[in-house]
Amino acid sequence: MDTFPATLLQITVTAPILIGLVLIAGRSLPRSFASGFALGGFALPAVLAPWLLVLWSSESTTVAQFQSTGLWGFNFGLNGLSAPLLAMTAIVGLAAGIKALTQEVESRNTYLGLILFMLGGTLGVFGTNHIIGFYFFHEFALIPTFILTLFWGGEGRRPAAMQMAIYLTVGAMASLAGILIAIDASGMGFAQANFGDVAHGLQSANHIPAAVGALVLFGLGTLASLFPFHSWAAPGYSAAPTPVSMIHAGALKKFGLYGIILVGLSSLDITGGRLGDWFLWMAVANVVVVGFICIAQRDLKQLVSWSSVAHMGPIFLGIWVCGKSGKADGLDAAAFLMVAHGLSCAALFLLANAVRTRTGTYRLDALGGMASRAPILAALFIAATMASIGLPGFGNFWGEIGVFLSLRDQSLWLQAIIASSVVISAVYALRAVAATFFGPASESLEKRFASAPFGDLGWAERTAVGLLLLASMAIGFKPALVTKSTNEVTKLVTTYSQHNAKAPAKAVPAQPVKR
Amino acid sequence: MIPFLANIDPAFKVLAPRAADWLTILPEIAVAALALVSLLQAILLPKPLRWLIPATARAGLVLVIAMAYTTAGPWAPKNDVESFAGLLRQDLPFAGVRLVFLASALLTSLLAARFLRERGAAIADYHHVLLVVTAAFMLLAQSNHFVTFFLALETAAVGLYVLVGYLRRSEASLEAGVKYLVAGGLSSALLLMGIVLVYGALGSVAGITDSLNFTQIGKALSAQVLTPTGISPLTLVGVALILGGVAFKLGAFPFHAWIPDVYQGAPTPTTAFLATASKAAGAFTLLVLVTGPFAALAPKLAPVLAIAAVLTLLAGNLGALSATDVKRTLALSGVSHAGFILAAVTVAVIAPEATAYGYTAEQVVVLYLLAYLAGTFLASQALVSLPAAADHLRPHLALRGLLRRSPSLAAALGFGIGSLAGVPPSVGFIAKLLVLALLVKAKLWWVLGVALVCVAISIHYYFCILREAVVRPTEDNVELAPLEISFGARFLIGALAAATILGGLLILN
Repeated sequence: MDTFPATLLQITVTAPILIGLVLIAGRSLPRSFASGFALGGFALPAVLAPWLLVLWSSESTTVAQFQSTGLWGFNFGLNGLSAPLLAMTAIVGLAAGIKALTQEVESRNTYLGLILFMLGGTLGVFGTNHIIGFYFFHEFALIPTFILTLFWGGEGRRPAAMQMAIYLTVGAMASLAGILIAIDASGMGFAQANFGDVAHGLQSANHIPAAVGALVLFGLGTLASLFPFHSWAAPGYSAAPTPVSMIHAGALKKFGLYGIILVGLSSLDITGGRLGDWFLWMAVANVVVVGFICIAQRDLKQLVSWSSVAHMGPIFLGIWVCGKSGKADGLDAAAFLMVAHGLSCAALFLLANAVRTRTGTYRLDALGGMASRAPILAALFIAATMASIGLPGFGNFWGEIGVFLSLRDQSLWLQAIIASSVVISAVYALRAVAATFFGPASESLEKRFASAPFGDLGWAERTAVGLLLLASMAIGFKPALVTKSTNEVTKLVTTYSQHNAKAPAKAVPAQPVKR
Repeated sequence: MIPFLANIDPAFKVLAPRAADWLTILPEIAVAALALVSLLQAILLPKPLRWLIPATARAGLVLVIAMAYTTAGPWAPKNDVESFAGLLRQDLPFAGVRLVFLASALLTSLLAARFLRERGAAIADYHHVLLVVTAAFMLLAQSNHFVTFFLALETAAVGLYVLVGYLRRSEASLEAGVKYLVAGGLSSALLLMGIVLVYGALGSVAGITDSLNFTQIGKALSAQVLTPTGISPLTLVGVALILGGVAFKLGAFPFHAWIPDVYQGAPTPTTAFLATASKAAGAFTLLVLVTGPFAALAPKLAPVLAIAAVLTLLAGNLGALSATDVKRTLALSGVSHAGFILAAVTVAVIAPEATAYGYTAEQVVVLYLLAYLAGTFLASQALVSLPAAADHLRPHLALRGLLRRSPSLAAALGFGIGSLAGVPPSVGFIAKLLVLALLVKAKLWWVLGVALVCVAISIHYYFCILREAVVRPTEDNVELAPLEISFGARFLIGALAAATILGGLLILN
């Protein structure tokens, strides 16, 4: 086997962590050196991970490719779902890194080092093929997230960080219990628990405790802000420093969804029976209730945070409908939306912060008329908003429309509710755009502009946002970039999920099983 | 064997120790000899050479650790053979067991030297008693007979009374010593009562010649279980009393009440030793008893152990939530760690064949204790190096500004607490993961549930300590003077911090 891509994958995950370590250890490294070094740590994965996505071959006989042995026995490897997520994480990471490098903060080297830790952990989540490794890297990324929010966060950071720590620890513990029980039921040893093997083993498991599906769904659901376990998310993102919000909301949160798909949906029958009903209602609440909460927001960053929670709704629905109907299209769309949402959501966080650094406020009623003063900022913000609400041309379009289409066999009221979500998200997103960039500027903004005139976006921010939007447009115009690899996994997961729901007693499927 | 004695009494010929027997406990003998050496040095060495006392003890301990790890030596347990005519038996993963005690003694010595010098207390005596207790613990863990068991336990207990009340000028230390003496005396009395009851009740069982011997007790009980009358209530009471005495050492519910007061009042190095070595002794003896002589009682013992594990976890974690003193918080969190150990012991009873990552429950107990040891000594090092008005008063508030005063101490606290709390990739996380995996294998769902809830609770109080040290500004933003940390202390912090990170790697590979 060609070991070159496997080496690339290892470098992608370990480079940010090692560089982060150097920055934290060398707190007094000269500024220019530290900046260049950190930029290397952010940029290297952003080059390597998309390259790996291109190298990922759908002709391969194994689902997990580029496998190699990692430390702690957590083997590296990319499956069709994690390959695009890894690439998305790396791009979001580079954008966040560029933002972080332009910020003036206390203990800058430690700050950059911790963000690199967080990025490395998030890359590890998708770069490993080992279930306990996947969990391990997630926890590894969460700790710097708490610390960064607590020390470098904005308003209300202490209660937000505490609330986030409690919710995420409880969610992580519940999911750990579910994961461990699932591994045990699959008959795999903990040391060899790869995603493919465990899902395969669970197909022929004679007894899976009923609560495992619930533990995995609600535990990982908490981490992915499933209603009603979502209330940590918006305050947590709002209080965190912008690069942290970008990586957390854009990339790290997808951990929960990724786990729900590969462990829960594939083998634990989370869409069947009572649990399935609960799942549906929670997902609908994610769309509708959180949508209304978004409409009520009067603060730009809060709005962006809440909307990133609301956008989890269609993804959950896509997962649900795949298990329910046994067709892969819902899951295809959900997987696509996971990638696309990461890009658009990170762009919005970055731009909202750009508004704040210029105007000194996130409050919508204190903004207005920015389009004439910062036209590029306004243009990019509008573009990111359009991406986020799913206009054609951007990646989110394929995801959102795919979820709607996959629901066409479901009852009419469900389709009606989901269709209304487009209206809801258009309402809050466009209102935010209007309040920030158009109309007359507020008095306080006029005063601020008079005393401290601000310019348009700098080159660094332009590069970062441009990167995210270009990536989103790339997958918008050429969806095959993502689907060529995700389809391989969604097919398999769908088969597995149906096997589990319909014929629990049947032996292993006769088809040659891919691992 | 001495021929002269053998000729006097033929019975002695059978029982007399053989040369091979002595070799199996060579590490224990070496530690005991080190204890005597430190005493001799105290008598013979002139004042300028007194620094040799701790140095000799440490060098000796390092050599004994190396010895315990030489698998080729005759002291390395081979096929679980009994020695000394059935008095001793090394049936635990014994290299690890010895390592726990020896490492604990070595680290305690490293903490104690400067701590005692600053307080004008004698260093030689401390080392002497410390080494005696260590040797006694090492013997205790391989006892296969209630006589050696009780002797070793009491030797250790008496030594610990001294170590707890060691600071004679500190009321808190003396108070803790008295409390420990009273509580420990009570537990010893109960234990002895239990031993006597078991001895008496099983003495009449056919074919049993020595109802103090663990192997024979095991045979007697498994024979009695099969009889229509079952096991006599007298035996059960005896077993309960014995396990109660052991639970006292481990600090398991409901015998944990002494822990916060004694840990808080004791000199901090002693506290660290109590928390690690004494807890380990309790864990190992419990493991030996419930999987050895009392194995036939497993159906009765398993629910008791599981309930004790759950209650210990809850008592420790809920107690620690409201504590405002660092030593007290860590003491109560130690109770919660005892709960994790109890959970692993429960698995050893219910599903002896269960493994997590290829480790049996017994090995997991050893690994858990080693992980706990690294975290505890890191946190203790930070406390010992921090000046305090009194050693027993270390409110959370006193940690404020630690990061600015001494980054290396803050790092010690960070790595130590992080590992105790189970933050990946620390060894504490891996150790907890192993216990949780064992609970899954044994299908102990409700213990698993409580353990997970407790992990979440523990994050709160552990991070409260860290928050004071790292985040909170000092009162009125006073810049406190930077702390001078000796090279030795910094080296220790670095080594232990590396151990908390690399330990997990070693365990899983």
